[in-house]
Amino acid sequence: MSEVVIQTKDLTRVYKRDQFEVTALKDASIEIRKGEFVALMGPSGSGKSTLLYLIAAMERPTSGTIDVLGQDLRALSDKQVAQWRNIHVGFVFQSFNLIPVLTAIENVELPLLLTNLNAKERREHATTALSLVGLGDRLTHLPKQLSGGQEQRVAIARALVTDPDLILADEPTGNLDSQSAQDVLTMLRTLNQEHGKTVVMVTHDPHAASFASKARYLEKGALLPEGHVPQDWFVRPA
Amino acid sequence: MLRLLPLIFKNSLRSKRRSILTILSVTMSFTLLGVLFAMYNALYFEDPTPSQALRLITRNRISLTVILPASYKQKIKAVPGVQDLYISMWFGGTYKDQAQDQRNNFARFAVEPEDFFKVQKDLVLPEDQKQAFLKERTACLVGKRLADKLGIRLGERLVLKGDIFPGDKELMVRGIFEDPLADETLFFNIEYLYQSLPAGRRDFAGTFNILAKSKDDVSAIQRDVDEMFKNAPVQTRTETEAAFALSFVSFLGNVKVFLLVICGAVTFTILLVSANTMAMAVRERVREVGVMKTLGFTNGGILFLILGDAVVLSLVGAALGCLVASGLAAGVAANAGGFIAQFKNLSLTPPTVVFIFGFSVVVALISSFVPAMNAARTNILDTLKYSG
Repeated sequence: MSEVVIQTKDLTRVYKRDQFEVTALKDASIEIRKGEFVALMGPSGSGKSTLLYLIAAMERPTSGTIDVLGQDLRALSDKQVAQWRNIHVGFVFQSFNLIPVLTAIENVELPLLLTNLNAKERREHATTALSLVGLGDRLTHLPKQLSGGQEQRVAIARALVTDPDLILADEPTGNLDSQSAQDVLTMLRTLNQEHGKTVVMVTHDPHAASFASKARYLEKGALLPEGHVPQDWFVRPA
Repeated sequence: MLRLLPLIFKNSLRSKRRSILTILSVTMSFTLLGVLFAMYNALYFEDPTPSQALRLITRNRISLTVILPASYKQKIKAVPGVQDLYISMWFGGTYKDQAQDQRNNFARFAVEPEDFFKVQKDLVLPEDQKQAFLKERTACLVGKRLADKLGIRLGERLVLKGDIFPGDKELMVRGIFEDPLADETLFFNIEYLYQSLPAGRRDFAGTFNILAKSKDDVSAIQRDVDEMFKNAPVQTRTETEAAFALSFVSFLGNVKVFLLVICGAVTFTILLVSANTMAMAVRERVREVGVMKTLGFTNGGILFLILGDAVVLSLVGAALGCLVASGLAAGVAANAGGFIAQFKNLSLTPPTVVFIFGFSVVVALISSFVPAMNAARTNILDTLKYSG
């Protein structure tokens, strides 16, 4: 059995909005092992994105524990968290979030600016990453010169260019047509199966979830027990 | 951090129109600031020439426009440390159509020729011309720059119409001299002026221009001369030539405060323009800040990027401002140098340019610090949810 890379226990996140408190995630306990491709599923507002953000250390839990890659994320300062994320996490957004004034290769190079690599090495790594996602011929294109699917592939190249242990994807196909979505999902599966990356993907699309090796469901902020599928969900992981 | 510079440059040109307009605004402000700094520097920080550092000017304590008894000359000559001195009198008068053509409005002084040359050691004049000036009572000397400007030649006759003093003065140009501090000035023999006046009205001097034996004597002469006439009916005020020139400028008002107030207003304007631009630029990039933080950029890194953006715009504006200010300073020197000697070689000195560049960085940092800090400290998720 492979090692546990993500482990949460009674993880809770409460947001305060003015005088109101909203519990986005309540007592979520989950274990994800190295090399797994897990889909976090649930309707809007179920807490799946909150769980993803907590795993990415983009949020701090209100209570509970969270260990990712053997690191207690609560013990890290903001600066340490940023450095940890740069080294260990590749994040893919729903809306690509490329920097519009930078070319494809400059966007992919962005996380490498925080490493010790020199300019030539950064360029080589970024070129390799873009070639891996099939965009070796689009290096100098600006985001506005790319299609949505290509933009998301650049975003995936940016997520994997630092060779992170974890790829976290938040609705990566939400803004794509079906063909582009298929390409992106295939790419994530390839990264998981052929490159051994642990992938956690948030989605509410059963078809997208079918690319994962495991699906976990959330409902009203609660993580349902493993294997438990809400009545109105019929998908089985592929 | 240096590897982030290309990113800063790209960000600075994100909105070309806004960047250009901001740079132009900043350029205009730094142009004004550059000229003002150059003036301030010329007036208050420029070192006197070696011989100028030895020269002092004694005038009436009440005002420069009130005369002194010419008899004071011998008493001042006896003060320890005084090497030589000459009497000088502002003539004023009118030359041609100076009300219409400002080029004809230049400084004219009546001086004692013999002693004049002993004190004005910077003055460069061919010996034969000097002798001609000494021998001929109606002779005059004209600064080379002035002669070139008005096309005055040796042997030419100039007529000055008196206003402070009665009668016209017909002068023969016997010498054209070079002197960096008086290149647009006319000097003529004060005897010619005295003799045109009634016998009882000839004992006066506008100023006594003194040459000290050494630098060490300057402050003592300053003190001793004024002390000597402390209880006299006409009291004196003695100051270095550089300080005297400043007092001449002070006729315009409190120039120091005037310059500082304008500099302050310009600085405030730059701050507002730059702060407004940076606030807009940061608002435009809120989501990107979230993305960059997700990629591992720290708060400090984000702060550096945004501050760097402001610094780049400000430095470009400062560089252009210095260029334009240099041109304007040359223009001021050409037009105002005749009356305000300090402005004769007005230019942006290297220290002034360095100061402006440094100042531009400080202004950029101050103006962008608040929006940059807010962006850097914003929670990642709040920035990612931001829709502009």
